Amino acid sequence: MKKMSKLHARWIQGSIASLCVLLASVVGFQSAAIADETCMSPYMAKIVGQEDYVYIWTLGKEGVGDGQDKLVTVSVNPESKYYGKVVNSLSVGGRNEAHHSGLTDDRRYLFAGGLDTNKIFIFDVHSNPSKPSLHKVITDFVEKTGGMVGPHTMYALPGRIMVSALSNNKDHGGRTGLAEFTNEGEFVAAHWMPTDEDMRGAVKVGNIADGYGYDVRVLPRRNVMVTSSFTGWSNYMMDFGKMLADPEAMKRFGNTVVVWDLHTRQPKKVFEVPGSPLEIRCAWGSQNNYCFTTTALTSKIWLIYEDGAGEWHAAAVGDIGDPSQVPLPVDISITADDKGLWVQTFMDGKTRYFDVSDPHNPKQTYEHVVGSQVNMTSQSWDGKRMYFTSSLLGNWDKTGDQDEQFFKLFEWDGEKLVEKFAIDFYAENLGRPHQMRFGAYSLYGQKPNSKDTLLSQLME
Amino acid sequence: MNRMNKTVLVINILVVFSIALSLISVTASRGSEDASELQNRAIFGPGDIKHGYESADYTTDTLDLLNRIGKEAELIEFARQPPLGLPPVPVPADNPLTTKKILLGRKLFFDRRLSINNTFSCAMCHIPEQGFTNNEMETAVGVEGRSGKRNTPTVYNVAYLDRIFHDGRESTLEQQVWSPFLARNEMANPSIGYVINKIRAIDEYDGLFEEAFNGRGPTMETIGMALASYQRTLNAANSPFDRWYYGKEKDVISEQAKRGFELFTGKGTCSACHLVQSEHALFTDDRLHNTGLGYEASMSRDSGTTRVQLAPGIFTELDNSVIESVSRAKENDLGLYEVTEDPNDRWKFRTPSLRNVALTAPYMHNGSFHTLREVVDFYNQGGIPNELLSPLIRPLDLTESEIEDLLAFLQSLIGSNVPALVADAFAAPIGDVSKDDPDWTHKNKLKY
Repeated sequence: MKKMSKLHARWIQGSIASLCVLLASVVGFQSAAIADETCMSPYMAKIVGQEDYVYIWTLGKEGVGDGQDKLVTVSVNPESKYYGKVVNSLSVGGRNEAHHSGLTDDRRYLFAGGLDTNKIFIFDVHSNPSKPSLHKVITDFVEKTGGMVGPHTMYALPGRIMVSALSNNKDHGGRTGLAEFTNEGEFVAAHWMPTDEDMRGAVKVGNIADGYGYDVRVLPRRNVMVTSSFTGWSNYMMDFGKMLADPEAMKRFGNTVVVWDLHTRQPKKVFEVPGSPLEIRCAWGSQNNYCFTTTALTSKIWLIYEDGAGEWHAAAVGDIGDPSQVPLPVDISITADDKGLWVQTFMDGKTRYFDVSDPHNPKQTYEHVVGSQVNMTSQSWDGKRMYFTSSLLGNWDKTGDQDEQFFKLFEWDGEKLVEKFAIDFYAENLGRPHQMRFGAYSLYGQKPNSKDTLLSQLME
Repeated sequence: MNRMNKTVLVINILVVFSIALSLISVTASRGSEDASELQNRAIFGPGDIKHGYESADYTTDTLDLLNRIGKEAELIEFARQPPLGLPPVPVPADNPLTTKKILLGRKLFFDRRLSINNTFSCAMCHIPEQGFTNNEMETAVGVEGRSGKRNTPTVYNVAYLDRIFHDGRESTLEQQVWSPFLARNEMANPSIGYVINKIRAIDEYDGLFEEAFNGRGPTMETIGMALASYQRTLNAANSPFDRWYYGKEKDVISEQAKRGFELFTGKGTCSACHLVQSEHALFTDDRLHNTGLGYEASMSRDSGTTRVQLAPGIFTELDNSVIESVSRAKENDLGLYEVTEDPNDRWKFRTPSLRNVALTAPYMHNGSFHTLREVVDFYNQGGIPNELLSPLIRPLDLTESEIEDLLAFLQSLIGSNVPALVADAFAAPIGDVSKDDPDWTHKNKLKY
């Protein structure tokens, strides 16, 4: 790894104890400024200043441009002459159901998964941050994992990427697991989710142990890993309207959160969290031993927390909008000081800010309509910049005039969001923008490349 | 679902499991009952068990995918000597059954690489433990999630069909396989040559076609022959009904099921289409009829709201405009008309066999009925009136107890060799991409 600037830090390797000491001593663990995109792995190198680029993992759409999935790079540094413009687009072949992506702990590579084809594309984002290149493609994810389908979250652990899958190759249902890869993309291990037939040592706290998967996050200080549960290939690839009207399909959603032993990868407790808990965001504060998740179908905020005796619990702590209208909370983002939680609701296109100073009693204090539909968000480490994208899943996005596909930047002053720029991904012939990850020259001791060009100029 | 339907569903489940247990118990040894019961449940339905999901106190009993037990069967014997209740299997003179062809066909059936993006085998829709259909959705979903408009039909006993698909458009299994291979909303292969070239480029197939077909490699014809050969062995009968009716065993079905059979062939007139003959029964006339269900789906108007389940015990009424906002255009389904373009053939669909029907929910060409009770209620009311309604469909005036009897009979049609067929399927290798297989990112690239 190249020399790093003083503007960022890197936490990898070592024991939990040494990690905690390092965090506390180097950056002041109780201060707010310890996270960059606030939802990323605590093992990851940080951008603590202005990000230069946002890498947007984008679904191809038939009839739009070249129709295939691509990694789109947008310049977001106001100092750049290309601010707010697409500077690169790297097509990867096929419509793989581009969905989530994640950076390695050293932040040199971006793993981006295809929920449909099970390919994982590994991009080199460090050699030239303005122009990622395709470093490697994992094509044998299903074979290597013994039948997992739908690589979803790509989450950095020391020297490893933990991939949570969504489905399997036997019935395309929701039973699945976690798969561990090296930063070079070599398969290490598979960890299947606990089921009633094989709880793998875990305790079933409620009535449900469905074996479903979705997100994965860790709290290294507590040696805890947390996973959530969505649905299998049959549903996430199905036309959304067709699925809503199919009572059998609607039974196939996850209703569990699992708390694991992070080091041993041993599931410990299976909690009943009805209505498909999706994104997990763990608190950063040294005394804040909890994570949030939100349920997509039942529209609730859930708190996964440790009590004073060291026992973990799950509790519904608040509603999101009117649950009877299924606003469909999708991505969430915790602020670096643990006091706020942004929640996007896909169906009404809103972002909602919840004051979670008391995590057991969230209160919505602000909302803003981002577009006709909204899904992902990424906030800068200081919380002042909020980026949004629109696409949920290829066959779940809205249709007709409501199918807006955008990447937008807003500034947040603590009271309101102000739009700074927007890129129409259909007008640009790109597709459907999904997950965003940040890039910065400062991570690699580099400066902006004078050879950087605007993509539109290349296309002229 | 109302209370009565719930009760019927629970009874159905118990009956299926009890029948299944009795079938398994022949080979199960004492002391391994737990293992055998688990295997039994793994064979007779989705391992992701959702019974009772409507209730807030739903409790999972999820089976583990890693614990499935496969056991190869002598498949050819199910074709050479079909189980009791089935006639001799018709085998084309130019495609005699051999074990090599059957095993090759089975390998192809479970190979997900035989689709444009390596995600779909035949078995992703025809799921063995789900009655070789899909219990988890009403109508099928194919490559890239593209919607199919019809329920996945079972492949049990397809050896006997002269009309294949819900609209009867195909006539032989050898030819039929190419429709899903090439359909854009199924396996979406771009051409016949693409499928052949891909098989040739996968090392695992080296020599297998040549051995099975006297030196002939993979071609449009041999691929169809191999897949047809496997499917021609999936004959499931010797059910409790067969043992009682054809085998003359006395106590293998209940008195209620016997009364149900009387209704089936009498007052219920079910056997007018679901034929039962003196020596055997296919439970289908292999013809197409208009029951009104297709007519209703095409011609009915928006009902305003849809009841949607969000979690165990949690439902909401969603305005249909909300659902419409996330729906892609839905294709109408006119049945046989789509083959003949004869307006008199609108909404005619093929009579399915009722063998193993307790395993193949949801029902009808569009999967719109989720229980056998709903199906019987539909026919009891006389289908749905329309100008092309089959004259065989009329109100039946069945009483509640008669409906119960009929349902008990329908539960008695699970073949005794279903466990063997499913366990054999579990033993089949699933074809997923390895680094040696063709892909544009690999050294092994398809030559174009």
